[in-house]
Amino acid sequence: MAVITVKDLSKNFKVKVKEKGLKGSIKSIIKPKYNIIKAVKNISFSIEKGEMVAFIGPNGAGKSTSIKMMTGILFPDKGEIDVLGLNPEKDRRKLAYSIGCVFGQKEQLWTHLTPYDNFKFFGAIYDIPEKQVEKKIDEFRELFELDEFINTPVRNLSLGQRIRCEIVASLIHEPKVLFLDEPTIGLDPVVKEKIRTLIKRMNKEYKTTVILTSHDVSDIEKLCKRVIIVNKGQIVLDDTMENLKYHYLNKKIIDAKMKEKVNLEDKDGITILKDKDYNLKLEVDLKKTSISEAINLLNTDNIIDINISNVPLEQIISSIYKDGDK
Amino acid sequence: MLTEVKNQIKVNILSTKYALEREMLNKVTFVSNIIFMILNNASFIVQWVILYAIKDNIGGYSFKQVLLLWGLAAMGYGVSRFFFKNAFNLSDMINTGKLDNYLVQPKNVLLAAITSDVEVSALGDILYAYIILLIYGLSLKSFLLFTLFGITAGFILASVSVIFSSLAFWFGRVEVISNTLNSIMTNFATYPEGIFKGIIKILFYTILPLGFASYLPVQIMTNFNIYNLLVVIFIVLLFIGLAFLTFYKGLRKYSSTNLMNARV
Ligand SMILES: Nc1ncnc2c1ncn2[C@@H]1O[C@H](COP(=O)(O)OP(=O)(O)OP(=O)(O)O)[C@@H](O)[C@H]1O
Ligand SMILES: [Mg+2]
Repeated sequence: MAVITVKDLSKNFKVKVKEKGLKGSIKSIIKPKYNIIKAVKNISFSIEKGEMVAFIGPNGAGKSTSIKMMTGILFPDKGEIDVLGLNPEKDRRKLAYSIGCVFGQKEQLWTHLTPYDNFKFFGAIYDIPEKQVEKKIDEFRELFELDEFINTPVRNLSLGQRIRCEIVASLIHEPKVLFLDEPTIGLDPVVKEKIRTLIKRMNKEYKTTVILTSHDVSDIEKLCKRVIIVNKGQIVLDDTMENLKYHYLNKKIIDAKMKEKVNLEDKDGITILKDKDYNLKLEVDLKKTSISEAINLLNTDNIIDINISNVPLEQIISSIYKDGDK
Repeated sequence: MLTEVKNQIKVNILSTKYALEREMLNKVTFVSNIIFMILNNASFIVQWVILYAIKDNIGGYSFKQVLLLWGLAAMGYGVSRFFFKNAFNLSDMINTGKLDNYLVQPKNVLLAAITSDVEVSALGDILYAYIILLIYGLSLKSFLLFTLFGITAGFILASVSVIFSSLAFWFGRVEVISNTLNSIMTNFATYPEGIFKGIIKILFYTILPLGFASYLPVQIMTNFNIYNLLVVIFIVLLFIGLAFLTFYKGLRKYSSTNLMNARV
């Protein structure tokens, strides 16, 4: 059963253009000029219950805009959205009871209150009886290891602790779908790992469907089985993580340090990525040729050191971004 | 339906409570804010005492009526600024995308937004208003009517601000306009009605409804009339309705924003 269905979704922003100086200011009052930014263009996809989907793309691709439309913050210009059988545009409040949102760049908690009091406030927002909220907090406090700082005012918490609390606050009402827009922004690797564990645990324990955006590839790699890549407002790839990797795992990277300079040229299946002094970097497409073929080209006696590796996911993704720019 | 309203009010009261707690963290600023507001208000009344020493009727108001007018002006200002402070920052909240948080919560967005902050010094205005009522003459009737009209005036001021601020959904930066109109309402609330004529008077009974926030209530308190009381209540409900209507109509145009954009 699909939890989210999006069809032909589009959103434009109208931005006033102002020319420089006083003259420009006056002009923009009398005869305003507008730029239309096509933030989201005709995107369609659907997400099943319990999935963890990475929603990624370069800056300005339209990820946040899409999420804001799915959560009822923004009204779409065109297209249909169905989240848990509801239309976010018409049933915003009803939908709010069953979704949770964390925007890494915005804060929702009262900073002078402790996380504990904040959680209780969120309980009231979602009409949860006090006893039940307290039980829920106890459960989370253990599951997500909050004991250390649950009674410290939020303004005295570190960024990592605060984000953890933001996520927990968004879970108080046991949402069926969780939207996480850059939840790990600005966090150190250890805290990032903690947040990932938290998200993973929650998905496992409560079967929560998760839509996650992040610029950190390891977030995506470690959490999501499915990737939707958007670029310039359009979906350029919607596939499983496995397929994404497999497609590119057919390529290997050879880094070699040579005794003397070899003169190589691109061959069918072998691309020279770098050839500087005695260092060589080749990409080998295993569908067309083999590793041994490539090494033979190099003349084995000549090799001082060699390293054969997979194409890193980060590079796979950025090459997809770049393809979109062409 | 009834529990829904109850839950809504509970959340808004909690929100005001938390905002007040935050302001009280620093006790010295908290108390001095309130005291300075009382002193600030009281200093104005001296001018009127002097004026009345020369002339005993200004703009059709006796000294006692001016007292009432001042008291209600302070009440209206106090109630609106204390309980609905962000009704007066609403255009900024719209332009900087601050409604996002409230939009993902299953509660009324407008109420959540405008009750999310309190103006502590407004408590000084409310206190000052009751001091004036003491000087005017305290009775059960005057107390109840004064309190009622303070609340209705507060609702009117907040509603009008919400209506003007909501224009930000369509026109972007409207702070200058809405701030100007709000301060007109604040400043003119302390002048006797009789000194205004013609178009200004019409304004005060339409788009800047001071007439219903102050003048008519003063009249009712000095000369009780149930019909006028119902008019005031009707007008308050009308403005509250208009405020919600304008805000929700505009909300369809809300464009949120990224933090990056907000800093520009
Ligand atoms: N409120 C707004 N007003 C005008 N333009 C906007 C607004 N919000 C977003 N945009 C524009 O729409 C496009 C998509 O923005 P969006 O925030 O969805 O990108 P994103 O994929 O989330 O990027 P990032 O990774 O940087 O967060 C961008 O060109 C952005 O400048
Ligand atoms: Mg974004």
